[in-house]
Amino acid sequence: MSYPTNSRLRGAALVAIAAIAGFCALAPASAQTDTFKIGVIAPMSGPNARYGAFANKGAALAAKEINAAGGVLGKQIELVSGDSQCVPAEGVAATQRMISLEKTPVIIGDVCSSVTLAMQPLAEESKVLLVNAASSNPDITYKAGVGGFKWTFRNYPTDEVRAATVLEYASKTKGFKKFAVLSVDSDYGRGAIKFTKRYLPKYEGAEILSEDYYKDSETDFRSVLSKIRRSGAQAIILYGQADTTPIIARQMLELGLAGKVALVGNGEFNTKETIAAAPKVMNGAVEAAAWLPEVPAPRSLKFVEDYKKANGGEMPNNHAYTHYDTLNLVMAAIRSANSLKAEDIRNAMAKIKYDSPMGVVTFDDHNQAVMPMVLLEITDGKPAIKGMIATKVDYAGGAK
Amino acid sequence: MSSFLFEQIVNGIITGSVYALVAAGMTMIFGVLRAINFAHGEYYMLGTFAAWWVMSKLAADYSLAIVGGVAIVSVIAVLIGRSVMQRLIGQPFQAGVLATLGLSLILQNVVILAFGGGYKVFSGGWLEPIELGDFGMSQQRVILVVITIAVFAGLEWMVRSTRLGRSIRAVSQNIECCQVNGIDVEQVVRRTFLIGVAIAALSGILTGPINVSIYGGMGEAITLKTFAVIVMGGMGNVRGTLIAGCLLGVVESLVAGFIGLQYRDSVGFIVLLFMLMFRPHGLFSSKARF
Repeated sequence: MSYPTNSRLRGAALVAIAAIAGFCALAPASAQTDTFKIGVIAPMSGPNARYGAFANKGAALAAKEINAAGGVLGKQIELVSGDSQCVPAEGVAATQRMISLEKTPVIIGDVCSSVTLAMQPLAEESKVLLVNAASSNPDITYKAGVGGFKWTFRNYPTDEVRAATVLEYASKTKGFKKFAVLSVDSDYGRGAIKFTKRYLPKYEGAEILSEDYYKDSETDFRSVLSKIRRSGAQAIILYGQADTTPIIARQMLELGLAGKVALVGNGEFNTKETIAAAPKVMNGAVEAAAWLPEVPAPRSLKFVEDYKKANGGEMPNNHAYTHYDTLNLVMAAIRSANSLKAEDIRNAMAKIKYDSPMGVVTFDDHNQAVMPMVLLEITDGKPAIKGMIATKVDYAGGAK
Repeated sequence: MSSFLFEQIVNGIITGSVYALVAAGMTMIFGVLRAINFAHGEYYMLGTFAAWWVMSKLAADYSLAIVGGVAIVSVIAVLIGRSVMQRLIGQPFQAGVLATLGLSLILQNVVILAFGGGYKVFSGGWLEPIELGDFGMSQQRVILVVITIAVFAGLEWMVRSTRLGRSIRAVSQNIECCQVNGIDVEQVVRRTFLIGVAIAALSGILTGPINVSIYGGMGEAITLKTFAVIVMGGMGNVRGTLIAGCLLGVVESLVAGFIGLQYRDSVGFIVLLFMLMFRPHGLFSSKARF
C-alpha cells in the first residue's frame, strides 16, 4: 500500500471541501423571526443520557401544549437542545454554543449539578437567564441571588432539605443508627453527604461507619459491599444515579444483603425497573424525590397521562416533570413581564407566584424555589408516599 | 480479617477474568496489526446490546442470546475487518489510532441513535447466588471464570497446534517474511480480528446480567482499562494478559475494599504510568518484541 499520489490527494481534498460546502448550504437558515428560542441543555450521551432524554421529552410536551394554545406573546416556542454529557467542560461548551450561535435568552439546564455549577459564571457573564430544573447541589443557590449569580434560578429542591429529611426518617422512624455511605462521586453525591454529616450529630447514636464514592461508569460494587456487610451497617446512604441503583441492588442481593441492609437516599429507587431488578433489596428503601408519577395531585396525574400518550406508554421520571413544569414557569414569567427580553423575564421570575401542579411556587432571595419534596418508602414492591416536606433553606445556619 | 482478605481476592479474580478476556482480544489484534484497537470496548458493548436485542425483540432465552449475540457481532467484525482493519497492515501506528478512534465514535453513536440514549435493563442470566463460605456470588460469576479459563486454554491450543495459530505468530513477528512464505497476511489479520472481537463480545454478554444497566457509552471505560492490562501483560502476549488481568483485578479489589471505592480506577492508570516509565514491554515479556 503506497502513499497516495498528489493528484489523488487533491481529488480527495476537493471532495471534502464540496461536502462541507454542501452541508453548510443545507443548514437551515437562521433568523426565524416568529419563534422564541429556549435552550435545553442536558446529558444526551454517556452514562446519564437517560436523564437528558426524559428532560427533553418533558420540555417538548410542555412546548407542544403551549404552542397549541397560541404560543407566548404571539410567538411559537422553539426548543434548542444541547448535550452536556454530564461533563462540566462539555456543558460549558454546549452553553457557549447555545449563547453565541442560537442566541437563546433563556437556557434550562443542566441535570448534573457539577455541570450547572460550571455553567453559572458563563450565564452570568453573558446575561442569559439560566433556569435549573434538575440539579440538587445546594451550592448552586447558595451562590445565586444575593449570593452572587443573579441570572441563575432553580426550580428544584435542594439536597440540604433532602439530606435532612431522609436522615430524620431513617433515624427516627426506621430506627437506623449505623450507616455506610456509598454515593456517586460528583458534586451531587458528595454535596448530599456533606449535608448529611452536618445533620448527623442531631441523632444520638447515629454514626457513619464507612464512606465510599463511585464513578458514574462503575459496575463492580462487590468489594465495597463486602466491606459494608462486615461492618454491620444497617442502612446504606446512597445518593446516586438511576442506572447504577439496579446494579447495586442486584449485587446486594448476590452478597446476601437483601432484607438486612436498607437503601436510604435518592437514586430513582421508585421506578418499576429499578424495583424489578431486585425486589427483596428495594423493599424498605427510603427516598426523598422531587416528584414521582404516583403523587395524587390532579394536574400532576394529568401530566403523567399526557406524557404516556405522547411517548408510547413510557412513564415519565421526575426530570421529565420538572422540565415540563419549568418551561411553564418560564412562560408564566414571560407573561407577567409582558416581554421576551432576558432581563425582564428575570425580574418577573424573582417576584412570581407560580401555580404549579404540586402547589404554589415562589423564589427566595437566593433564587431558590420554595417547593415541596416527596418522602417515600418502597413497600410491597411499590412506592408508598409517606409525606410531603416543604422547607425553606436556612442560609445562615448552613453556610459552607 | 483474613477471610475478608480472601473474599476481596476472590472478588478480584472474578473482575480480573473479565479484564483478561477482553484484553486477550485486544492484545491479539495488536500482535498482528501493531495497532491498538481503541474501539475494542465498543465491541464489548455491541455484544451486550446484540444479546439484549435478541432476548427482548426475538423473545429468546439467555443461552440462545449468547450464541445470537456473538454471531451478530461476528458479522459486524467481518464487515469492519474487510473495510477498515485490513488496510492498516504495514501502516504507521497513527493510522490505526485514527481509524479505531473513529470506529469507536461511529459505533457508540449508531447504538445511541438506534436504541436511544437511556440505559436498558439486561434481564436474563443465571443469577442464583452460590454460597462459598460466608460470602455469596451469583452463578454467573463462576460461569464467567470458567469460560475465561476455557477461552484462554482454547487460544493456547489454537496458537500451538493450528495453521491459523502459527500464521498469527508468524505475522506478529515479521510481515514481509510471511508474504515471502506465501501466508495470506490480510486473511490472517481478518481472522484474528474476528476472534478478538468475538471474545470481547462474549465477555460483554457474560457480564450483562451482573452489570444490569447497558447503554451506548459503556465501552469507553472498558477500552481504557483494557489498554492498561495489555501494557502490563506485554503487548501481543496472550498468556501475559490472563495474569495481568487477574493481578489488576485483585489489586483494584483490595484498594476498593481497604482504602475506598473512589480510588479503584486510579490503580489501573497508576500501574500503566509505572509500566510505561520502567518496563514498557510488559511484566512478562523478557525482551521488547517490537
